[in-house]
Amino acid sequence: MITRERARALANRGLVVVVLGLAGLAAVYVRAVVYTPVERVQGPAQKIFYVHVPAAWAALMAFVFTGLLSILYLWLRDRRLDAAAAASAEVGVVFSTVMITTGPIWGKTVWGTWWTWDARLTFTLLLFLMFVGYLMMRGAVVDHDMRARFSAVFGVMGLVLVPFVHLTVYWFRTLHPQPVVLKPTGPTLPASMLITLLSSVAAFTVLYFGFVTTRYGLMGLEDARQRELHGDA
Amino acid sequence: MRASGSCTVTPDNGSFMVAAYVIAAVIVVGYATILFLSSRKYRDR
Repeated sequence: MITRERARALANRGLVVVVLGLAGLAAVYVRAVVYTPVERVQGPAQKIFYVHVPAAWAALMAFVFTGLLSILYLWLRDRRLDAAAAASAEVGVVFSTVMITTGPIWGKTVWGTWWTWDARLTFTLLLFLMFVGYLMMRGAVVDHDMRARFSAVFGVMGLVLVPFVHLTVYWFRTLHPQPVVLKPTGPTLPASMLITLLSSVAAFTVLYFGFVTTRYGLMGLEDARQRELHGDA
Repeated sequence: MRASGSCTVTPDNGSFMVAAYVIAAVIVVGYATILFLSSRKYRDR
């Protein structure tokens, strides 16, 4: 693992990035609520889109990084890769929680129901529960090598599921709207809405990197403390 | 007098937007606070 000084520096830098991300998110809130026009058919509830979609983006990005780091861990067996994958998974679960709570609030206003078991929603819930299981498993397995190996397998399974979640709106009949930005013909949003959405995506991306850096640093600090307690330092 | 064209009544559902924004803020700021407090735990070691 990394040294205690390096871990402390990473945790501190990560917190600075988190503060920047939170400031960005606050600015996005102001822009979304005050300066972005209300959609005529859906009303103000459409603005949930500016939180829900970037949270989904950050969550899926987190799970992709977890999967890639897991593959690298299985190849190189470096504990730093396992720690980084775990940090990314935890942050992914945080953003998934935002995604999975704000989505139904929008759904209630537009679909008339909080939840429906269609393909996109069901597979997103499955992905979320898979990574909740990932974190629970890490808390339950004591042996480090076994925990890292099991986690890496979970991470790779999650990575396989991510593109499937994205493509469910094309492959199945679903209530969930199709992409309005990430599609072959380009974005179909008015400029004012697109700028708000992209600003929010940027804020969530900054938050993701800030959270992961901080969490990774904290894992390093905890690891250093354990080494000292057991006289391995 | 006959109405012409379409007329859309924009729904008044701003409370749903507020609820979603508050929940998102609580989750994100809450996690940031947990990380901050965790980092303080190692400050003097």
